[in-house]
Amino acid sequence: MAYSQQLIDHYENPRNVGSLEKTDGTVGTGLVGAPACGDVMKLQIKVGVDGRIEDAKFKTFGCGSAIASSSLATEWVKGKTLDEAEQIKNTEIAQHLSLPPVKIHCSILAEDAIKAAIKDYRDKQQVADGKAAE
Amino acid sequence: MMIGGEHKAIPRAALAECWSCKGPVSVQAIFCHTCGAAQPPRQIDHFARLGFEPGFDLDIDLLEKRYLGFQRSVHPDRFANKSARDRAMAEQQSVSLNEAFETLNDPLRRASYLLQLKGQTASVAKDQTVDDPALLMEAMEAREALAEAESVEAIEKLAIKAGADAINLLSEISKAFAADDLAAANRLTTRLKYLRKFLEETRARRVALESF
Repeated sequence: MAYSQQLIDHYENPRNVGSLEKTDGTVGTGLVGAPACGDVMKLQIKVGVDGRIEDAKFKTFGCGSAIASSSLATEWVKGKTLDEAEQIKNTEIAQHLSLPPVKIHCSILAEDAIKAAIKDYRDKQQVADGKAAE
Repeated sequence: MMIGGEHKAIPRAALAECWSCKGPVSVQAIFCHTCGAAQPPRQIDHFARLGFEPGFDLDIDLLEKRYLGFQRSVHPDRFANKSARDRAMAEQQSVSLNEAFETLNDPLRRASYLLQLKGQTASVAKDQTVDDPALLMEAMEAREALAEAESVEAIEKLAIKAGADAINLLSEISKAFAADDLAAANRLTTRLKYLRKFLEETRARRVALESF
């Protein structure tokens, strides 16, 4: 089957490739992998003072669908609050890119990467709050 | 993605009925010992199919020898003058033998299959994400190093290290299975998958560099 235009576009012109400073307190890093393919995906978010995601970057070593899924995920999370970003479902990513059934797990990977990045950011904030309270 | 079939370990001494002479025949038998008719491949695990006890450590030379011998015994040339049913049985046997051999001959597929036989789903056979931060970190760093390697020598160096790691991993997987530590065996198998993938990528990158 032919891949969708959206998928090819995100694969050929991936958005937001790169890294943010992992040790920055306002940056959350999600690192996930799909054991069935040996893929690895890193998605990072930078949260602004207003609580919205002001920047997002990704680095994915995997197939075209995994790259497109994470590229789309970084586009979608930008400007969202953490609660909103958490609501992004893999099915929406899969639908937008018209992923074939065998590539659905790539969109699951992207959803998990967003969640992992948010969790990492929140964990950091908790540690920071704990220190501030002392 | 499932690796291998949906086989469960079943008693190896079990008997079935020969379709031709109706006599009892071992579930492992390719031919009926009474009438000589080729038997359908029965629901036995891949190890039993090739006459091994389930285990990660396998004599690969013996595996291949048995596989080739069994395949010869069901070769179509031998069934040219037999009935259509005999021919069909032999063909089915050939397909099952092939699947068993392909699964057991590759350490990664063998480990995944063995986990399945022991009632575990191997992570490498699931559509799930890995929950092993150390492994992912290592995989990410390795892939980044590969992406930055600009010469064939640099890639070769990474490939040699990964190849050695993969060999060491096999003995670790073997130990985990020997100790019946399935969680460890599963984790190590996932690691092997990542190393394999990395090795594939080193080859692809080498080809890309050399074609300039």
